[in-house]
Amino acid sequence: MSGQVLVFQVLNGLGIGMIYFLLSVGLTMIFGLMRFVNFAHGALYLAAAYAAYVVSLLTGSMLWGLLAGPLAAAILAVAAERLLLRHTYAMPHEAQILITFALALIVQEAVILGFDAQAKNVPVPDFLAGIVFLGPFVYPAYRLAVVGVAAVVALLLWVALERTRFGTILRAGSESTEMVSLLGIDVHRVFLGAFALGGGLAGLAGALAAPLRGVDPFMGEEALGIAFVVVVVGGIGSFTGALLGGLLIGVVQSVMSSVWPEGARLMIYGAMALVLLVRPAGLMGRA
Amino acid sequence: MSAFQEGGRFPDGTTIGVAAALVALPFILPSVTLASELVVFAVATLSCAFLLGMVGLLSFGQGLFFGIGAYVSAILLREHGAATLPAVLAAALVAGTGAGLLALLAVRRRGVYFVMLTLAFAQMGYFAMLALRESTGGENGLTGVPRTPLLGGFGALAGPGAIYAFLAVLAFAAYALTQCVGASPFGSVLRAIRRNEARAEALGYDVRAFKVAAFAFAGLLAGLAGAMHTVFLGFAPPNVIDLEMSERLLVMAIIGGASAPAGAFLGAGFYLLLADFLSALWPRWLLLIGLLLIGIVLFLRDGLWGGAAAWLRRLRPAATPHG
Repeated sequence: MSGQVLVFQVLNGLGIGMIYFLLSVGLTMIFGLMRFVNFAHGALYLAAAYAAYVVSLLTGSMLWGLLAGPLAAAILAVAAERLLLRHTYAMPHEAQILITFALALIVQEAVILGFDAQAKNVPVPDFLAGIVFLGPFVYPAYRLAVVGVAAVVALLLWVALERTRFGTILRAGSESTEMVSLLGIDVHRVFLGAFALGGGLAGLAGALAAPLRGVDPFMGEEALGIAFVVVVVGGIGSFTGALLGGLLIGVVQSVMSSVWPEGARLMIYGAMALVLLVRPAGLMGRA
Repeated sequence: MSAFQEGGRFPDGTTIGVAAALVALPFILPSVTLASELVVFAVATLSCAFLLGMVGLLSFGQGLFFGIGAYVSAILLREHGAATLPAVLAAALVAGTGAGLLALLAVRRRGVYFVMLTLAFAQMGYFAMLALRESTGGENGLTGVPRTPLLGGFGALAGPGAIYAFLAVLAFAAYALTQCVGASPFGSVLRAIRRNEARAEALGYDVRAFKVAAFAFAGLLAGLAGAMHTVFLGFAPPNVIDLEMSERLLVMAIIGGASAPAGAFLGAGFYLLLADFLSALWPRWLLLIGLLLIGIVLFLRDGLWGGAAAWLRRLRPAATPHG
């Protein structure tokens, strides 16, 4: 592989990796806060991608789709939390996993019911349809924009977690929700906020990914598997871990796709196995 | 009644019940094909139920071992002209060994991490199948798997009836073997781990080694089922190793109830009969399965078998609750 191809694939990988980060950070945040594994997290990504697809068809602009996706996912996450999931917080993990898995199945089937099982293309926003020159490299503008948007969102998220009251409560909650509630904070509203935020981020990932890969009803399931790999690699509950894990997995997948195309997706799991062997708690995980 | 969780015996009433059901199935069901499919998935579901009910391990990855069993048996039958019985048993052993190796990695994490790893492994299996296109046929699967005689040129699998009989005998053997494992001292340690892992460790048991062994046994069961599936279809389609297969097996186990091996058989039967009935009426019937699953987790924690057992106990309040 020539140096130029390698640089191109690493850049591509960073783009995919930023999407993986957005996808995974909500999962890791919700787990850190309430020890709740949301198997419906991929379904939020799926719902957002379809919302972006529909809105971009209706308005003729993918830009509106990029706004509609996160919104739809956040609304779905809040509705699920209010109507069903909050009744399961006292239940064992297995029950939570099975219920959220069933929810994901329902969303997936509903998508097939509303559309069909075929994959559909989603256009890139018009003004990002071109290419840009980065020194000697030619790069699709949309992919560059994805990296940019995701980086800005990651930065905002970091500021929100480190510098705002809600972020402080989230971080305190991941140490001890009991203590937070003893301080007079309504933890159930914090949980709801975490679901809205985490769902919105997964939705942004879905909407950003839609023009890159198209939409199909099984993308949620696939995304859930990838989010788990990112979280296992990065260390669950860790913001930095999700970022590092997402970028690592994205770059591994992208670089391998020009070395061994059939095996690129397989190598993601190879990277995961390696991290598990060397650091069972994940790169940034607490033992 | 809940043999996985309370320390079962072998043989017990369910052993006879399963034997009787296996004999009766092809006569009760609309087709022998459906009966064959049912026994294949009954064994695969047993694998999920054993892990969950016995050791408390929730696995979203049993489809991987089902797939390994399906592909290995297809390759042995197709490329090497193996007899059916050794091919099936060898495929089960390969799947069991593979499960043991992956478990060495997976038991490094516990609880929800373990669950996430099993799902990741299931995905990995699918991509591995695509990557190894030359042996697995990629998206086309392995077609035209011959039905060789059972052993050394004897026992031709001529016709659906003979195939069903062979599969039913294997299913009964798998059920009896699982019951034996459940009733053994090894089974008691697994139950102790499910109840309280720290206590089992403090008693001096190597918890990880026991979990690896249990996972390997469950992989063996799933692999056996996968090989049975190949014999049943005469074909190894790529969906034998996809994530949906893993999910389907788990759903069957939860619906039937993982507290006893009989629950797995009941769950597989209920799911397949429901699928057979509903899929003709409404292609998106899985949506109803999703709702049913939520209902069972919320209101019927030990599944249909647990519900039936509790109902029976209420009818006979004087009887001792279980053996």
